[in-house]
Amino acid sequence: MIVKHNFNYKTLIAILMFILLFSLNLLTPAAANQVGGIVQVYIADTDSWQSYQNNGTGILRHDDDTVGIQQALLHTNIDLASNVSLNAVAHYYPDGEQQVGFSQLSLQYKPLSPNKIKFKARGGFFYPRLSLENVDDGWLSPYTYTQSAINSWVGEEMRTLGLEFSIYSPGRARRSPWSWEMIGAAFKGNDPLGTLISWRGFAMHDRQSLNNDRVNFAPYPTVIDTDFIWHPDYVEPFHELDRRWGFYTGLHLSYFNQSSFRYYYYDNQADPLTVNSQRLYGWRTKFHSLSFQHKLNSNTRLISQLMTGSTVMGVKFVYVDFDAWYLMLSHQVSQHRISLRYDRFMVIEDDVFPTDMNNSDGYGLTLAWRYDLDDNWQLGIEQHFNKNTAQNRAQLDLPIDANQQQTLLVAQFRW
Amino acid sequence: MKCIYKIFWFSSAFICFNALAIPVTVDVFSNTDKPVFQTVVYLEPEGDVEITQEHQDIAVMDQVDRQFMPHILPVQKGNKVVFPNSDSIKHHVYSFSPAKQFELKLYKDSDAAPLPFENQGEVELGCNVHDWMLAYIWVVDTPFFAKTDQSGKVTIDVPKGHYSVKIWHPRIQDDLDALTQKVSIEAPTSMSFKLQEKLLQDLSFYEQRADKLTDY
Repeated sequence: MIVKHNFNYKTLIAILMFILLFSLNLLTPAAANQVGGIVQVYIADTDSWQSYQNNGTGILRHDDDTVGIQQALLHTNIDLASNVSLNAVAHYYPDGEQQVGFSQLSLQYKPLSPNKIKFKARGGFFYPRLSLENVDDGWLSPYTYTQSAINSWVGEEMRTLGLEFSIYSPGRARRSPWSWEMIGAAFKGNDPLGTLISWRGFAMHDRQSLNNDRVNFAPYPTVIDTDFIWHPDYVEPFHELDRRWGFYTGLHLSYFNQSSFRYYYYDNQADPLTVNSQRLYGWRTKFHSLSFQHKLNSNTRLISQLMTGSTVMGVKFVYVDFDAWYLMLSHQVSQHRISLRYDRFMVIEDDVFPTDMNNSDGYGLTLAWRYDLDDNWQLGIEQHFNKNTAQNRAQLDLPIDANQQQTLLVAQFRW
Repeated sequence: MKCIYKIFWFSSAFICFNALAIPVTVDVFSNTDKPVFQTVVYLEPEGDVEITQEHQDIAVMDQVDRQFMPHILPVQKGNKVVFPNSDSIKHHVYSFSPAKQFELKLYKDSDAAPLPFENQGEVELGCNVHDWMLAYIWVVDTPFFAKTDQSGKVTIDVPKGHYSVKIWHPRIQDDLDALTQKVSIEAPTSMSFKLQEKLLQDLSFYEQRADKLTDY
């Protein structure tokens, strides 16, 4: 793996924000702050497909048998007032383009209320709560290291820079087994959302993009050719390009603490004709997401998510429909958690440039065993396989089919 | 400190106030003759009872595995309740009940001062971080109270005298005043309550499937 340290001014700003935030943490009463962290160190045994991070067409994060830092994050929750808290997650990644920065930084307003239907809101830079997979601190998955195709994409390319409002009704206070929440959000930024799944296709990893991050992909000739599409071989996914507001709306429904459903409709409302000086385009991306979790008993749960949508850039220079789903079974026995997930993902194009081939599809199988040695230490091993096809590999004289596999051995320390 | 609290909590059910205490055994049955677990049973003295000692304990409402522990806590009016946090995450306990309104942020390893409960009646507790958490403190104006066990039975030792025997449970729909029984305790006594109305839905399943992997 190539370790890059191209610190720019945006990284410097992120570091300064990081210092400011944790200084605030030290200055407010100690009891009112919650600071925690997670560090994961990995040993990887991988296949030879060059990772998208290194401008290859492989869909995994690692492409070298090596040892390194999988995750290093600090998360904090600072109470600024009785009803207002500040949530932040700061990361260090040795790979990718932005090494230090935030994946989330938001204020949450959740007033106490005697009413059966309550209100809450948050504003800042945060994830829409589409996923029932990423429920550990720092939006990590407690189940597998290599995340589902859907949430790998959410982690690398999607973030809400805006305001989210919810009305919700906890069932138990109504003497009902059913709880619900309705969500509406408006946001800026995230106009290039869709770039990665259109050209590279879905990937499978746990590298979350940071606040000003850049994600590389292969230099497909039709993409980078200045006489053709003329787009760089990377995307900076969180840019605001067209001054339009995006929105999403969601519904959460849960039965006791046993079953959960989440439905979201998302539309970034980007203008697909907008392009900036880097030649990054607006991608009009819309999708439906449906998540489901059911606890079969205290130790075993099923988790699933389905996403279907489309994205368009330019005058239909690229237009794709995308669909992905996964089904995961996770079982915990005392200190051990074993999780098995099957992923399916596909991208189908219908655009004006047949030579810019955007069809891709694949499936993945991920099996992880994680063992809690104590409250702080965890050991885990994961075996991942995927078979994926991307038509545009032909542009790079590569076989369009890839069989990828990766074994990860991970030691985790949390506090 | 937590151990001491627990000792207090357990001891409060067995405190003997008078050397001549007489056991009163109470059974509580639903309208379908099922025992009603965790019903608060309390005996209010009618004036001729000499109370030589008041409860001075601090009762405990702990937060364990993102649940209140216990779900129902009876305390005597004027006594205090302490809210420790046995979890490693933040809780934000609150009540809007007329008998006691408060909010308390409980951080990891927090050591919040005990709160006095000065008014009789129901205090419904919630947590503003974990919306499924719910518990009740039932404040009684007598030192003679306890909760029924799994078989719906409880035994309370009281001095000789006249009492109003009352019960309370959040699932009971019967008129509580109509359920009150007046008794004269001269010797060991057994009595029972039979509810007429159907119990409200049992929601304890919320506690059986709660875990820390819930949201972000």
